[in-house]
Amino acid sequence: MKINWTTSVGAIALAVSSVLHADVLPDYQTDSPWFTDAQTNIAAKLDTNNVFKAKNVILFVGDGMGISTLTAARILHGQMQGNDGEEGLLSFESFPHTALVKTYNVDSQTPDSAGTMTAMMSGLKTDVGVIGVDENISRGDCSTVAGNEVITALELAEIKGLSTGIVTTARITHATPAATYAKSADRDWEDNSDMPATGAENCEDIASQLVNFEQNLEHRYIGVDVDGLEVAMGGGRRHFLPKDAAFNSADAVSEVEGDRTDSRDLTAEWQAHYPNGVYVMDQTGFDAIDGNTTERVFGLFNESHMQYEADRENDISGEPSLSEMTEKAIDVLDNNQKGFFLMVESGRIDHGHHAGSAYNALTDAIELSKAVEKAKAMTSDEDTLILVTADHGHVFTIAGYPKRGNPILGKVVSVGATEPALAADGMPYTTLGYMNGPGYRDLGTETDADEVYTSAAVAGRQDISNVDTTTSGYHQETLVPLSSETHSGEDVALHASGPGAQLVQGAVEQNTVFHIINQALDLVKE
Amino acid sequence: MKIFKLSKLATVLPLVCILAACNGDDGENGATGPAGTDGAPGINSLISQTALPVGNADCPNSGVKLESGLDANSDGVLDASEVSQTEFVCATGMTEVSSAQLLTSLQNTWFQEASAEIAAARQVWLEATGSAAAKADAPELAKASGIKGKAKNVILFVGDGMGISTVTASRILEGQMRGELGEENQLSFETMPFAGLAKTYNVDSQTPDSAGTMTAMMSGVKTDVGVIGVSEEIERGDCSTVAGNELITSLELAEIAGKSTGIISTARITHATPAATYAKSADRNWEDISDMPESAVTAGCKDIADQLVNFEANLEARFAGLDVDGIEVVMGGGRRHFLPKDAAANSPDAVSEVEGDRTDGRNLVTEWQSQYPQGTYVFDETGFDSINTDTTSRIFGLFNESHMQYEADRGNDISGEPSIAQMTAKAIDVLDNNEAGFFLMVESGRIDHAHHAGNAYGALTDTIALSEAVDQAMTMTDPSDTLIIVTADHGHVFTIAGYPKRGNPILGKVVSVGSTEPALAADDMPYTTVGYTNGLGVRDLGAETDSDAIYAFTPVSGRADLSNVDTTMPGYHQEALVPLSSETHSGEDIGIYASGPGAFLVNGTNEQNMIFHVMDYAADLAEQANAKLD
Repeated sequence: MKINWTTSVGAIALAVSSVLHADVLPDYQTDSPWFTDAQTNIAAKLDTNNVFKAKNVILFVGDGMGISTLTAARILHGQMQGNDGEEGLLSFESFPHTALVKTYNVDSQTPDSAGTMTAMMSGLKTDVGVIGVDENISRGDCSTVAGNEVITALELAEIKGLSTGIVTTARITHATPAATYAKSADRDWEDNSDMPATGAENCEDIASQLVNFEQNLEHRYIGVDVDGLEVAMGGGRRHFLPKDAAFNSADAVSEVEGDRTDSRDLTAEWQAHYPNGVYVMDQTGFDAIDGNTTERVFGLFNESHMQYEADRENDISGEPSLSEMTEKAIDVLDNNQKGFFLMVESGRIDHGHHAGSAYNALTDAIELSKAVEKAKAMTSDEDTLILVTADHGHVFTIAGYPKRGNPILGKVVSVGATEPALAADGMPYTTLGYMNGPGYRDLGTETDADEVYTSAAVAGRQDISNVDTTTSGYHQETLVPLSSETHSGEDVALHASGPGAQLVQGAVEQNTVFHIINQALDLVKE
Repeated sequence: MKIFKLSKLATVLPLVCILAACNGDDGENGATGPAGTDGAPGINSLISQTALPVGNADCPNSGVKLESGLDANSDGVLDASEVSQTEFVCATGMTEVSSAQLLTSLQNTWFQEASAEIAAARQVWLEATGSAAAKADAPELAKASGIKGKAKNVILFVGDGMGISTVTASRILEGQMRGELGEENQLSFETMPFAGLAKTYNVDSQTPDSAGTMTAMMSGVKTDVGVIGVSEEIERGDCSTVAGNELITSLELAEIAGKSTGIISTARITHATPAATYAKSADRNWEDISDMPESAVTAGCKDIADQLVNFEANLEARFAGLDVDGIEVVMGGGRRHFLPKDAAANSPDAVSEVEGDRTDGRNLVTEWQSQYPQGTYVFDETGFDSINTDTTSRIFGLFNESHMQYEADRGNDISGEPSIAQMTAKAIDVLDNNEAGFFLMVESGRIDHAHHAGNAYGALTDTIALSEAVDQAMTMTDPSDTLIIVTADHGHVFTIAGYPKRGNPILGKVVSVGSTEPALAADDMPYTTVGYTNGLGVRDLGAETDSDAIYAFTPVSGRADLSNVDTTMPGYHQEALVPLSSETHSGEDIGIYASGPGAFLVNGTNEQNMIFHVMDYAADLAEQANAKLD
């Protein structure tokens, strides 16, 4: 069977094959695009980069973006462009360097985002559920925080005088972004109302820590004089506003948007603190920001998480995409001659998977790929290290044996067949599936995966003969019924490009990510 | 908040000067006016300076507070109420944190180990790319130098079906079998310096099979599912489309180049993965003549077992004037494809009444022996153990009628058989007698089979056995002249679910962090950490160590009450969602691990056929083979 090679790279037969005057290897072997493309690939790898120090570092985290998610998102991306899909690459999959990353937390075989992001940002593994503290913490016990706080790469970059930014599609107080700036005995302490009524008086909620980042850092490390985060964009407005309808934003979803029971309006506090800063809460405000002249941006685009990319246009007053936020952030941050550190999280790949919706997970992963592409285009390989990784995977599988180009969200159609293959129960099955979670739903054209949570988990098989499994509202079947599909424990990938990316090697513990950043920016003086 | 930094002191001082009413240049003299009345006493402008210590909120790294104003009450002191302007002159903040302030991190073992690893990684990179000689002053951009052809030996390990989740679960099981928590463990090949990802799809199949994937790895081009050593122009099962589409493999290039060559598999040696190193076939199932359609035999296609025994003659026939010495080491299972369908040809450890399948009356074992009188044919552990590798130049080992045993089941083989690590060591002992080096392919074929049977125990213990084989190879060879690549051909729909606590038995039920009892699903039943999306489904076969025992049963779908089942037993088969007679491969990328010359090329996300090109570059196979033909 002959299937045409569809990537543009495929057309370029490069020079290296000329060294193989194919006496032994027949022409049809050495002239095959598969062969010449691989030769081109090897030739590119032979151009070695020995620059190890970077001016800027951008860390992209696809929350829950395991290896199977990468493959499925790559195929969907290609198929949306009319290709077979398997032959393509997500933007960062063309980066020259990779490692495999062991994700477990100190106390958990399968990890969570708090422990994993603390590892990546602080260089050491810690327990599940805690933020910016080492494993000597007792989760939920405020009294064990003091003395166990660990410094992060973002804080070290801030102290060094670099501009710093965090961008996420989740709540900006959620575990992954929080681990860049906060220290907390529990990831759930997003605002003061989330904290225990007694026993946590000496601990500060995560939202408050974001707004007080500058003072807290100066207080913690005597003698440092920093100017705070230049860019913070994401969702989670509820944790910054008082529980009072008078403080509702124009695109509030709840009757009372704010959750804070201490009457503080942290957005106003931030604005008072940074009179030159621009606070925005919707697309219009975002669009009005001039990245070249604005020195500081605080964007809270949603009461809770930002929308899934597929659901973004349903936001009440609109919100930017991850790639738009990434572009704006770099525009602001790159005004600093000393360089910048930016963390960008695609937080809702994880949420799509938890809801058992491959469609939402994959379309958000594709949007992350676009954000990385944007960052790559706006920066130079000579001075910017870009790392793209996940914190953990999901129990998400790509089953056998669909033929080439079979819709990745569709039912398995075998090689040479046109009708779906049938399982031993006489029913068709989808290529993609989950081991556990909320299970099968056909929500048609729904684009918000979280709609699944309005009904109880459904285990096992369904007759999907007449169901279009490629629609946005289809939730895959599952084996073990759980209210939320779980993370998985296998290794995730780390893709890297730029100075210092050469040190991304082999199979590593996840906390190595910090040390790669540290090496490139010379953050810790030992 | 500080307002001025020290660097702005110069702009502060003139401001202070104006407030103090100091002299300017004289102007021109005007006309003399009338004398005025005496004025009231002037009010002085005062400045007060206060030193600020380190840690001050306005000047975190110390500084001076400058307050100024008019001395309204003329008491010579600038009272608080008289301050009209406040400025700060701050020392520049510290731009790094002293190590004393970072002890929580610096004294943490995780931190120290990762820090040391990255510190070493720079030199690893420079040495791997040939820039090591330059060391500190390595050029910023360089062509890798001294690598091409530096690998005298190449060893390719293929864990059939050993996807990323299998590697992680096996690593944990291996550690736990030693009494450790497990997660922190590394399989032998996970210590190799470089790792890349491979896209496994076949030209016509989103989720691939071993024939197409191994052809990609061995020949440098992707092809269709189910075909061996031929390009995508093939029509699967159509003998007439083979001619003109045969691909040359890296094993053949090595053979032509004068290296010793070897293949090892725990599967039948005629099975897809090993076959793709030496055979060309329109169908992977043509393992012996009885598996072929009559038309294919008539049309002249040869079965795979025949191609193995006639490898030397076939290769020489392909190139005029070529003289090679054939494969030095062949070890695996699959005796049935080499023996005639005649009980008289049975081996002592035959399982079937008639072991051989061949309907052409040929005994390929005796054909091999007459071709290579110096070679040693063995079929059991005793024969294997008696091979003296110092004096043996050639080995043909067929240790089982079909596949070799699962590692966990190896003790049950009728007359015994070697482990994959033992075979690997023996092979290297024989192959490394050649000054020109060697090419060895080692397949752990039964990781795949145990997964197909939905038996994680079998798959993981076979992966651990592969890890031991790689360890053996790493120990017996020198990374300065031996490229070792460890990879899989594809994965399986095998997952590691959340959220077991650290050290929870990988084959056990999920017990949450802080808990001692299994977590319950929404159906109030416990669930295992590892599971399959499809396949034969749950079955408790107790102490059974042969994963294939499951095939006596029909597939079952869905959940079972595991409350009283010991899921860590060898015979436990995990639950599955979609009932299928065989659990399927999966389509996600798999890992490639590498050490030795050219290992740094194993990096990034690559098409699977890139592996051929890494081996070709590192060992200079094609050019050396070409030189032999000139």
